[in-house]
Amino acid sequence: MKKNKLEEREITPEFLLPFGPQHPASGHFYASIIIDGERVVELNPHPGYLHRGLEKLMEYRTHVQNCMLVDRICILDPFSNEIGYVNAVEKITGIEVPERAKFIRTIMAELGRILSHITWIGVNSMALGLDSGTRIAWGNRERIIRLNEIITGGRIYPCYFTVGGVRRDLPQGFKEKIMKELDYVEKQLNVYDSLVFENEIFIMRMKGVGTFGAKEAIALGTTGPNLRGCGVKTDVRKDESYEAYPMVDFRVVTMKDGDAYSRALVRRGELAESISIIRQLLEKIPEGKFRVIIPSFMKSPKGDTHFCCEAARGELCFHMVSDGSPNPYRVKVRGPSFSHTLSEFPYLVKGVNIADVPAIYWSLDPCPADMDR
Amino acid sequence: MKDKTLGVLKPLVIDKYLTTKPMTLNFPTETLEPVEGYRGRHFLEMEKCVGCGLCARMCPNKAIEIIELKGRKYPQIHLGKCCFCGLCAEYCPTTALKMTSMAMISMFDKSEAVYGPNKLSQPIE
Repeated sequence: MKKNKLEEREITPEFLLPFGPQHPASGHFYASIIIDGERVVELNPHPGYLHRGLEKLMEYRTHVQNCMLVDRICILDPFSNEIGYVNAVEKITGIEVPERAKFIRTIMAELGRILSHITWIGVNSMALGLDSGTRIAWGNRERIIRLNEIITGGRIYPCYFTVGGVRRDLPQGFKEKIMKELDYVEKQLNVYDSLVFENEIFIMRMKGVGTFGAKEAIALGTTGPNLRGCGVKTDVRKDESYEAYPMVDFRVVTMKDGDAYSRALVRRGELAESISIIRQLLEKIPEGKFRVIIPSFMKSPKGDTHFCCEAARGELCFHMVSDGSPNPYRVKVRGPSFSHTLSEFPYLVKGVNIADVPAIYWSLDPCPADMDR
Repeated sequence: MKDKTLGVLKPLVIDKYLTTKPMTLNFPTETLEPVEGYRGRHFLEMEKCVGCGLCARMCPNKAIEIIELKGRKYPQIHLGKCCFCGLCAEYCPTTALKMTSMAMISMFDKSEAVYGPNKLSQPIE
């Protein structure tokens, strides 16, 4: 009897499963997963679907113009990108920023952290099939975006910080407006607790999944909440304090286990800490100038500089080389998501079930826009 | 086991959303109220403009071109290239160029995105 085509085919136990770039739980990120039955044998990330050549584009723009561009590094956490770039320029040119501007920047950076973490609650719930978490988190995110709009004039891309301060002063009655939203977010934290963090199904999906120790995490280049989830007490805001962070009192949230659930709890703790930081800053905010006027096409002296800040996802560093012209000669950005997606993710998914892949991926909170740049 | 059952039932607190207003808007009929100071479409006061071209030099996306109209120089903005950062309005020495809170500027044809000085100085509804 003649064999049909299916029977003739050589049968191997391994199978290639694409994850992304159209997968709802992957963002613009493609990874080819080799599976054996239900188990992941190997994962190969293929970056580049969101590459825009940001570092090259920065070389053709002046320092003031670049402040508008760095927002696009990570769309969900724009203020941290701006704070990093602006501080790098101020470090190389030696510009002193008014005290009020420092406070405003810190308040906005913390609002950005809340924005990013709430978005993360949404996408992580989506990856686990908990759709109500997504809807509620993204609905609440809208309120903070609205606050962004009132303060900065932009919803997603605030373009708010500039070299020498911030572009406009806080609007009238800002204290009440920010406090109102903070109270709302604090109230919503209880909803997230019962819906997501204390939800038994969420715990069963996240606990003991994607575990790594502190030593391995550091070797893989992990920073930020993911490293704090392994029990390492590290935070750029404390270690190399910048802007108004030395004037506030806050706790570095750490967890011991190093699994997906501890990373989730670190972010939950940081939400509460960010709210407390903004409240302290709003009480202490001084009056005065919010900006130093600098020339439109300001030249920066020859040399290079390096500045690191704590973005919502981890450590964000800018290395800038200047040749004395109004444009930077070279800007190298080290984003937190680069190591999250390209080194930690393939390491953590080895040998896990296919269903755990999105859970591990989103527990790392990567941003494909930040990874590809 | 009992604890786990409780944990599974915990998410039911979101039942309260059944009786609250939806977070979304019925878009074409309802829209968000524009905020004061929002960076939307530009508005040009032609009498104030001195044609210095600083807006074109400041634009990060090179969306502004300086053109001649009746013997005077004015900016012409390509809204398809514009990122609405507002640097042009911020650095305008005579405040002739301003950002308005008009956000509904989508169009079917790409050529409609080029706003000349006459179109820019039309009053905003």
